[in-house]
Amino acid sequence: MFMESRPFRPLFPLKSIQSSIAFAFSCLILIAIAATSLIGYRLSVAAVENNSKAYIAEVINQVNTNIQSYVDNMENISLLAMTNKDVKYYISSNSFIGSGERRPYEKRISDLFQSILYTRKDIASIMVFGYNGRFVSDRRITTLNPNARLEDQAWYRNAKRAGGKSVISAPHVQNVIQNEYRWVVSLSRELKNVDGLTADGIFLVDLNLNVINDLCSGIDLGRKGYVFIVDEDGNLVYHPQQQLLYSNLRSEKIEEVKRAASGTSFAADDAEGKRFYSVKETSFGWKIVGVAYEDDLIGYKSTLGNTILITVGAVAVSLLVSVVLSHRLSRPIRNLQKKMRMVEKGNFDVQAEVMQMNEIGQLARTFNMMVGQIKNLMSEIIDTQENKRKSELQALQAQINPHFLYNTLDSIVWMAEQKRHEEVVRMTSALAKLFRASITKDQELIPVRVELEHIRNYLLIQQMRYRDKLDYRLEFEDSVLNYKTLKILLQPFVENAIYHGIRNKPDIGTIAIRGMEKDDRIVFEIEDDGLGMTEEQLERIGEAGDGEFRSKGIGIANVDERIRLYFGPSYGIKIQSELAVGTLVTIAIPKLPLEAEVCKTTTAPIVPIEG
Amino acid sequence: MRVQRFTIGLALALIAAAMFAVFYFNLYRVGQGSGRTVVVLLKTTNVRSDFWQGVKGGAAAAAKEAGAKLEVLGPLQETDTEAQLALLEEAMASGPDAIVVAPINDDRVVRLLGRIQAAGIELVVMDTPLRMARQPITVSGNHREAGRQAGEFAETHAAGPSKVAVLSDYEGSGVSAEREKGIKEALAPDGYAGTTYIGDSEERAYEKAKELLARKPPVGAIMALNEPAALGAAKALKESNRTGAVRLIAFDSSIFLIKLLEDGSLDAMIVQRPFNMGYLGVINALRRLDRRELDRETYIDTIVVTKDSMYSPENQKLLFPFK
Repeated sequence: MFMESRPFRPLFPLKSIQSSIAFAFSCLILIAIAATSLIGYRLSVAAVENNSKAYIAEVINQVNTNIQSYVDNMENISLLAMTNKDVKYYISSNSFIGSGERRPYEKRISDLFQSILYTRKDIASIMVFGYNGRFVSDRRITTLNPNARLEDQAWYRNAKRAGGKSVISAPHVQNVIQNEYRWVVSLSRELKNVDGLTADGIFLVDLNLNVINDLCSGIDLGRKGYVFIVDEDGNLVYHPQQQLLYSNLRSEKIEEVKRAASGTSFAADDAEGKRFYSVKETSFGWKIVGVAYEDDLIGYKSTLGNTILITVGAVAVSLLVSVVLSHRLSRPIRNLQKKMRMVEKGNFDVQAEVMQMNEIGQLARTFNMMVGQIKNLMSEIIDTQENKRKSELQALQAQINPHFLYNTLDSIVWMAEQKRHEEVVRMTSALAKLFRASITKDQELIPVRVELEHIRNYLLIQQMRYRDKLDYRLEFEDSVLNYKTLKILLQPFVENAIYHGIRNKPDIGTIAIRGMEKDDRIVFEIEDDGLGMTEEQLERIGEAGDGEFRSKGIGIANVDERIRLYFGPSYGIKIQSELAVGTLVTIAIPKLPLEAEVCKTTTAPIVPIEG
Repeated sequence: MRVQRFTIGLALALIAAAMFAVFYFNLYRVGQGSGRTVVVLLKTTNVRSDFWQGVKGGAAAAAKEAGAKLEVLGPLQETDTEAQLALLEEAMASGPDAIVVAPINDDRVVRLLGRIQAAGIELVVMDTPLRMARQPITVSGNHREAGRQAGEFAETHAAGPSKVAVLSDYEGSGVSAEREKGIKEALAPDGYAGTTYIGDSEERAYEKAKELLARKPPVGAIMALNEPAALGAAKALKESNRTGAVRLIAFDSSIFLIKLLEDGSLDAMIVQRPFNMGYLGVINALRRLDRRELDRETYIDTIVVTKDSMYSPENQKLLFPFK
């Protein structure tokens, strides 16, 4: 498969280590915080959910226990009635109680029921109905509702069918007593005869539904949570919104609850929101269900909100820290970078301060060593270069142009033939002095006086050669004479002035050589009124050491370089020339008094070379 | 480089902000509807009024379900216009999000409700529909449907074709007029035997019922539009031993009517669902506050209860409000 390979390009091209580090840190921190808070959130949600489920289960258990205890109590009352002889006799079909004796029995039974009722506020009524048509209640005088047939009542029928076992009814309005319509839960059971086989009547205990209602409605399962109870057939025993359920404005998960085993829970998620159902079954078949809404469970919003605020704060702080940290980490690198840039510009005197002993410190140390090495190498190179140049110069100086020598000797011969002895003597002695001056090799710097003498000798010879062509003037200030100058500084320019400026001039040419003090420097001028130069010629002089000037002696560019090498870049040569008018060469060197013997000891430049 | 660092900083800040937003909305999305305050103004808060206690129960259930704060107000007397006005002013001054009111049909009440609407409070009218410039959300019993149910019951249960007489309270009563309309709709064209107004007097009802019974041809069924009418008519029927022969149908429920139903003096009761009215009143107000779509008018259905069905689980709950 062909894939175009492209170098990886980051989303943010980071140009500094600091921003790279800061970015990396920030990413790490953000990911870490996001991960931990997400996990933390999930964990805490799970914990809250589990806690809430446990809590709901606990609450449901409590409700269960309470309701169970009410029912147990009714059961006990029924047992009491069952075993009570008066009750048995009273409802038995055997007519061993005469109609006259009925009243005391009724009273005794009623008293018994009443005393039970006094101790139990949750019981609404206790009654016994004999199949013989007799009945007793906890009230002295009981009038039955003529419109309510006992046989139609569910509790009556169910107890008869159960045959001796107690039966718990769904909540209903108890209407057997005239003018009483109370919401109750009934426990009924068929009473057996003394023989334990034939049934004699039905015993009824009514529990105030208020008790269950208060129990269930008093339970706090969050803002929207609630408890409801269904019987084994799925009929509602208690539900806070029973009426809405009956009129189908709401629905309840009755089927799921019927299917759910006791002690289990299930979740539901529909338009009404996510919620949990906890189911607990009582011993008599009712199922108590606790419903809690998820948003209620995780309703500790303010705390979570605070956590989030703290998280955001932490993120902000850590971002700040990462920026500061990356700044600190990259600072030595930046310092080093700054020093390197200085080196780049040519300053080899920098030293990076080593502050730490870590990698960057080592780097700085290595850098320092490197810069030192480079500096040494540089000065070595300069030295060798200089030595080389010097020896070159000395070689050049040593061999005074042979043509000059031949010509001069020719002139001397010619003058001797002419018997012009005096002139021969003058010229020969001048030549001798000239030679002597160039033979003294050991000193590079000589007094201006000596240089003046040298140039005078040279001009003397030249004037004698070009008798009718050359005239010269030497105008040196006295103060100048006691300073130092480079050896054979002026001669090349005088030579040039003669050979290029004056020799080919039809009439006589004049060279003026001046030496003067100007401010803190000494200035020599070599002025001629020769042919002068065109601008192109002038430019060509500047080009290093080549061309026609070179062949005629020491190149002007070389002289300039020598001066700069010795005295620094602010000194040197300036040439002004105009065609057919003449040339002016200005040489500037520093004032170096004779007394200071500095230059003798060192060949190195006095002024450091700056890059 | 400086600019770049700024860009990165900005990007990070944006990421942080985005994360915060995601978290925030994930957590707080569920909090809708909470913290809303709804004031319910009943015609009466008298604990003896099963109907209005039922409405109150429904309102409370709705408030709990939606997590809203609920305040229930109401005068002691159902017809106390002054007290209702004062309570409405009070409710308006407390600045709730919504007011659910069962108003007394009075011009001053209507004007005040207009002001409540203008104050930006969501208004829901229960029980008694009003004519207003800006029609509010209404939740009321479907009285015409109730009348129709009563008429149909009379049609199907009367022995042979017979006339139906109506005992109503006042001519100006909106609810009674609606019921009467419904009754007439359900009856055969010649089945209607006229309406008699008896006000709030059981005595008058008794007398008028006697007159009705004396008519020729005999009246086959009597519709009692309020409780005194039913009690008076039942008494008249009993005295003339025509209980069961002449069908008596009453509206709304009370313990006295229940007894009459139980002993057979009353053949049927058309019962409202006050719990549902209170529930839907508050729920609709909250839905409206959440800018959700809903019908302007909601009718609460009514049911026919006879002696046989009065002890069914559903009807027990309606007839015998749990206290």
